[in-house]
Amino acid sequence: MSREPDMIDKNHHAPGTTQCLVRSEVGLGRSKMSSSDQNPAATPASGPDEPSPPGRPTAVSSQVLDMGAQLVQALKPVRQMKQHACSIALYAHDLHRQMEVHHFVSRLNQDVLQCAVYDSDKPSARLIGVEYIVSDTIFEGLPPDEQRLWHSHAYEVKAGLWTDVAVPEALQSSEMASLAKTYGKFWCTWQVDRGDALPLGVPALMVSPQAAEPGRARAELVRRRDERYGVDSSAGGLKAARVEMDEPEWINPNADYWRLHRKGFAVDVVPAEMKRHAPFP
Amino acid sequence: MASSDGKPLPTPASAGGAGGAAPPGQPTTVASKVLDMGAAAMQFLRPVKQVKQHVCTFALYAHDPKRQVETHHYVSRLNQDFLQCAVYDSDRADARLIGVEYIVSRKIFESLPAEEQRLWHSHAHEIKSGLWTSPHVPTPLEKAELDHLATTFGKFWCTWQVDRGDRLPLGAPALMVSPQADPAATVRPDLVRKRDDRYGFSTEELRAARFDVEAPAEEHPGKADYWLRHRKGFAVDVVPHEMKRHAPFP
Repeated sequence: MSREPDMIDKNHHAPGTTQCLVRSEVGLGRSKMSSSDQNPAATPASGPDEPSPPGRPTAVSSQVLDMGAQLVQALKPVRQMKQHACSIALYAHDLHRQMEVHHFVSRLNQDVLQCAVYDSDKPSARLIGVEYIVSDTIFEGLPPDEQRLWHSHAYEVKAGLWTDVAVPEALQSSEMASLAKTYGKFWCTWQVDRGDALPLGVPALMVSPQAAEPGRARAELVRRRDERYGVDSSAGGLKAARVEMDEPEWINPNADYWRLHRKGFAVDVVPAEMKRHAPFP
Repeated sequence: MASSDGKPLPTPASAGGAGGAAPPGQPTTVASKVLDMGAAAMQFLRPVKQVKQHVCTFALYAHDPKRQVETHHYVSRLNQDFLQCAVYDSDRADARLIGVEYIVSRKIFESLPAEEQRLWHSHAHEIKSGLWTSPHVPTPLEKAELDHLATTFGKFWCTWQVDRGDRLPLGAPALMVSPQADPAATVRPDLVRKRDDRYGFSTEELRAARFDVEAPAEEHPGKADYWLRHRKGFAVDVVPHEMKRHAPFP
């Protein structure tokens, strides 16, 4: 069914789609908080010239607390984030919305990584989501319904889109080769690319760039990223360096759901009757 | 795939015991450790270095407040009115990243549209009751911060439901809410005791010490803590969506 570009059905029941789950016992219909909302209601939170996020400069007392806390607290989980990788991510429900993302990666074991994702690498960077990355072995153990929320990394790595910033290729190449065989699940909790000065709405599922349209990363986004970080992801640069990298023999067709099904996933919030429980003893 | 699904399908990813099981996978290889060390030496990791505070508190699932988790917030301050937190399930090196919480001052909260406010929760009770703690930080140092935090509002998405035994992050993100005075929103005493024993402090004593933290006149302004008034939680669902069509790129 053809739709006008950029138009969202107010009730978010896009004709022709199947609903994963019906949860309408409350009868309020779909909320307007779907992650696929074009633009949340105009608020101070989404003006184009608003600082993001809005707020007063940090007070001295807060700085003092922050300095003091650092001295006495070990902050071990965040110290595990030892790698900064930069890439381009796309919204699952709208592949033309793309952004440069900065992953701060920590390793839980050889097969599972967890990333705090930011919109830049500056101290003022906004925390915009979380990505989990698993090896193909682990991915194969997930149920098919779950696999549909994940995306493959092979193209993104081999095309030089995902790269560790400022780390020589020779040092990162074996890590990148492993990464090329992984799958990721990325929830974006702050849609900064649509101008949100504050995190609004519900998390959006993200997907990885792919070779085929409409999943290709926009050239100008890549160029800007490359210039800023001294990356050369051109055909002569990283792409050439990574051409020898093993392709995975097989990419699970349940990943990158949009490629086969031409449907993205949007997240919606629905009111639910609270579960009833027996009173606590 | 709704965040409110009782139990995900049984798989190696969902077979762990409550809260304890590490994710499946091989131990980290030496090569990976070498890369990590090398990268850490060359990269600034600035956004991560902005995390300066560890907070230990409790959160409840919005669609089922009887499911409660001890959370470890690693807080960074973007300005005086906005904090962003990477939330973990413990304070150890092997902690799992289980979600993100944003914390805003009351003024910012009140500028949000009503529909958005319904996703946010208040912090006054959590602070005054001693549930929200900064382990090892001396009390006098945190006093001004507590006064401020008691007037803030948070929005917390949980992306890994470790309390139901998920060994890997499954399903859709779940909205979380804060403990409140209401009996339906009270944190289980055994959870609190376990936390207190680990850190060697007493939530009761903290509550007593925080008598002078001002409770805001209106604790649930606008649509904050929506579930308390309406007894309806929010569950998150993922639905397939027609892809937008766009004019071909020039």
